[in-house]
Amino acid sequence: MAVSKEEVRHIALLARLHVEEEETQSLQRHLNGILEHFGRLKSLDLENVDPFAREDLDVTPWREDTVVPWDGREGALSQAPRREGDYFRVPRILENEDE
Amino acid sequence: MKQPGSAVIGLEIHVQLATASKLFCACSTDYIGAVPNTNVCPVCLGQPGSLPVINARVVEYAVRTALALGARVGHFTRFHRKNYFYPDLPKAYQISQYDLPLAEGGSLPIGEGKERRAIPITRLHLEEDAGKLVHSAADGRLGHSEYSLVDYNRGGVPLMEIVSEPEIATPAEAREYVARLRQLVRYLGVSDGDMEKGSLRVDANVSLRREDGSLGTKVEVKNMNSLRALERALEYEIGRQAEVIATGEQVRQETRHWDDGNGVTCGMRGKEEAHDYRYFPDPDLPPLILPSGFVEEQLRLMPEMPWVLKERFCTDWGLSLEDASVLTEWPGLARYMEGCVRCGANPLRAANWIRTETLRVLNERKIPIEKFPVSPEDFTALLAKVEKGDLSTTLAKKVFDLMVSEGMPLPAAIGRLGANSGKLEGPALIAIIERIMERETGTIEEIRSGKDPKGKKRGFLCGQVMREARGQADPGEVAKMIGEILDNQ
Amino acid sequence: MNSLGLSATDLATAVKNREVTAAETVAVSIGRIAELEGKVHALLTPLYDRALARASEIDRKIGKGEDAGPLAGVPVVVKDNLCMKGIRTTCGSRILENWHPPYDATVIRLLEEAGAVIIGKANMDEFAMGSSTENSAFFPTNNPWDLERVPGGSSGGSAAAVACGYAPLALGSDTGGFIRQPAAFCGVYGLKPTYGLVSRYGLVAFASSLDQVGPFARSVDDLALALDVLSTPDPADATSSRRCRPGYRACLGREDLKGLRVGVVKEFEAYPVQTEIREALGRVEGILRGAGAEFLPVSLPTTIEAGLPCYYILAPAEASSNLARYDGVRWGLSVEAEHLVDLYMKTRGEGFGAEVKRRILTGTYVLSSGYYDAYYLVAQKARTQISREFTEAFRNVDLLLMPTTPTLPFRQGENSEDPIQMYLSDVFTLPVNLASLPALSLNAGKSPGGLPVGVQFVGPRWGEETLLGAAEAVERVLGKPAAAFGGEWV
Ligand SMILES: [Mg+2]
Ligand SMILES: [Zn+2]
Repeated sequence: MAVSKEEVRHIALLARLHVEEEETQSLQRHLNGILEHFGRLKSLDLENVDPFAREDLDVTPWREDTVVPWDGREGALSQAPRREGDYFRVPRILENEDE
Repeated sequence: MKQPGSAVIGLEIHVQLATASKLFCACSTDYIGAVPNTNVCPVCLGQPGSLPVINARVVEYAVRTALALGARVGHFTRFHRKNYFYPDLPKAYQISQYDLPLAEGGSLPIGEGKERRAIPITRLHLEEDAGKLVHSAADGRLGHSEYSLVDYNRGGVPLMEIVSEPEIATPAEAREYVARLRQLVRYLGVSDGDMEKGSLRVDANVSLRREDGSLGTKVEVKNMNSLRALERALEYEIGRQAEVIATGEQVRQETRHWDDGNGVTCGMRGKEEAHDYRYFPDPDLPPLILPSGFVEEQLRLMPEMPWVLKERFCTDWGLSLEDASVLTEWPGLARYMEGCVRCGANPLRAANWIRTETLRVLNERKIPIEKFPVSPEDFTALLAKVEKGDLSTTLAKKVFDLMVSEGMPLPAAIGRLGANSGKLEGPALIAIIERIMERETGTIEEIRSGKDPKGKKRGFLCGQVMREARGQADPGEVAKMIGEILDNQ
Repeated sequence: MNSLGLSATDLATAVKNREVTAAETVAVSIGRIAELEGKVHALLTPLYDRALARASEIDRKIGKGEDAGPLAGVPVVVKDNLCMKGIRTTCGSRILENWHPPYDATVIRLLEEAGAVIIGKANMDEFAMGSSTENSAFFPTNNPWDLERVPGGSSGGSAAAVACGYAPLALGSDTGGFIRQPAAFCGVYGLKPTYGLVSRYGLVAFASSLDQVGPFARSVDDLALALDVLSTPDPADATSSRRCRPGYRACLGREDLKGLRVGVVKEFEAYPVQTEIREALGRVEGILRGAGAEFLPVSLPTTIEAGLPCYYILAPAEASSNLARYDGVRWGLSVEAEHLVDLYMKTRGEGFGAEVKRRILTGTYVLSSGYYDAYYLVAQKARTQISREFTEAFRNVDLLLMPTTPTLPFRQGENSEDPIQMYLSDVFTLPVNLASLPALSLNAGKSPGGLPVGVQFVGPRWGEETLLGAAEAVERVLGKPAAAFGGEWV
């Protein structure tokens, strides 16, 4: 198989996604299925195609540099799983306790 | 400078742009001292469903800086997402520029005269700032903290990242490069460039050349909050690497933090995860395309560059390089100086007074020149009085102090000191003159025997009288009276 | 008067003329939901109290002689990935189970400013990832025409709600066919607008370059009315087009389709499609020909080959980045953890369902160092190529007639074993998103077994008018879609 179990674990860490050992194999199978399916594109001649030519988009609009205060702050803070006063709180950032 | 062991330094500088609102939302950028999480909205909190829209002034400021550096401005650029997880990054990606930055190339001149050289610039791009973490530990450091608190007020503030080529050779050069860049952004009015406040943040890449001339392992040094800290950190780091190499070991590729208190750089503890930012074009932002005429318009709005101004101060007014350097350090100070000269001040005298008196006041009061209470007009008028001898230097300084401390206009300050010219007259003045004439008989003798073709000795006598009169006499009147005495006998 | 069967257009008129109050209308809607929701499970969060309060406000406004808007008193169901201030918005996910957004999506604001009354938030596949609404973390929605079958997805709840008569209008979002496929499965109209026509601000993103909000309705007139309300340019969305929109409703009412050139995609002809759907395509072709349209073959060789694999690289890539913000720090589920990485891993591991995890991992993989060029970049190039192919095709035709899906609504559980098999049901819809085109799925009758059969029109960018016009010609012959579970329909 193209993508190894080890790679699946690495990608899961990169995506900060805990996956159970049992899940790893089915995820591996799925990923390989998608990539294999993608192999069809190999037959296309895409040599000189611009990957980011989005004909549908206008250029990005610019807004004026003016301040508009927002009144939803409390509503946002109230959703915090670990609020502390005016702050969002997170657990210890480093993994090891000792420094 | 390509010998083995010599240092190679490249700098990445993040400059906060002095816009009113953030890069992609209408929240205020004024976060210093603000209550945590008040300058926020769905966009800069990364709320699901929110979308970015770019601030026009950010583009203007960045283009102006690029032009000042002589960089090539990209007319078609785009924004990428730089993906990584950290609590200060609410979307878990930073919107930044990657393969098509706003500008590439250009350079920044450092050094003077023959020593002058241009440090080449790699690129200039736009990105958003992250929020701020407050760590729970008593020392405020990450390592000891059981938990941390997040404030997104700074999140989304516009940053301009300027990356130099690794062509800086010494810590002193690095220091000057940063000082010149700081001066430049202040001149352009695009940032306050304050390192201590964090509006200008410097990361340095340092390596030493190997025996064969190739570049050694690169170490990134962060957390330098002043020019002095930068210089010290680089000196330390170069020494440390030299020592590592001398003991036959390998320099580790890592990020090190400057500890200003202990004067050392420290590596981050433990394993460092290999970064994989998975950059890809942000689908929420169509390409950034500069309209035709935009760059020309920004060029039109460019002020004179500080290095040009400095040269002009030297050549046009005959100032010393040192005077010119000091006076052009801040755009406001240079404008003040120019204002004085425009009002008729003698450039040398003005430069001298500004350097000694004005800067002293600014330092003592910790105010910028823009808040200095004496207008160039009054300042020039004061200098003129000294020049003409209406006021002695000592008295003029007292008048100056009064104008500063009380915010008084010149005539009022003179009035308050009772130093109105001509106030001392009649018998009192004659008495002083007679006293001086009696004391200075030798000088009088010389004048009368024609040994004073340039009138210097007469001037000396007048000065003595003025001094005795504590500057309160009319110098013209004094000169006339002395002249009469000398000529009539 | 019973407002149940009225179209949104007629309902708003009746409310404005005080033939019925907004409060009565909402009460009828609530009654219908109470009657059928036990069978269908279309809604995640009913908003009865809020709806009744809003209705009284509208009635007061009308009482004072003020203009209550083109959707005055019209009940509307919205997909649960549209943010409503202070209203639970789950995206069908455990990770947002108790999230109350602090702001309104632009389309929510537009609807309410137009006088609409939002009566509930509709079930959906988790983060819109799925084609059956079986991937909702809470419960599956049943197809109103056969409760054993799926309503399609990911906007299955919205489609089912309109088919059941909970409301004459609903909003969904379409990333790869997620309005059109459920519209076909539930026997209603569904419109996926041109990318950039409707604001995405406040639509919780799945794949930002493909997502578009659009309406479900039971009449072409209502689709046009909804589009008139929704298609306002939005300065808060940089991808919202600033071009001027026509009045869509005003464009309706053309007598014939003379001069209309309809394309049939040769490569799609060869694709296995269920007989009932082939027959429906024939019926619609006959009607259009009868109205004066001419039919031409067109070719989209790359599209048929590359559409599916390209989509299943690009959509997960964008999703992996869009869904990184669910980390247990600012909102939503947050699992107790020793340290930060632990918090991230556990929260995301427990909060996301299997399909979402699959896509996040796929997306992370194809963007990661060493694989970007081989997968993401190639897929982007294929996308450009597909888009060009459509542009080329639309030089010769005004719209395309295509199946919406290869099959009729499938049974629950039927495709869930093999996700890739499930992906195949999107083969006709997702190229449209890749090329940023508008498309309209319409009901073209019933199968002998009583299941709705849908087909779609695909237009060039900004070709919504043409799509609505063609759909109107079909509606004139086939009538408006029937209601599930009967009821009195006007
Ligand atoms: Mg940066
Ligand atoms: Zn903001």
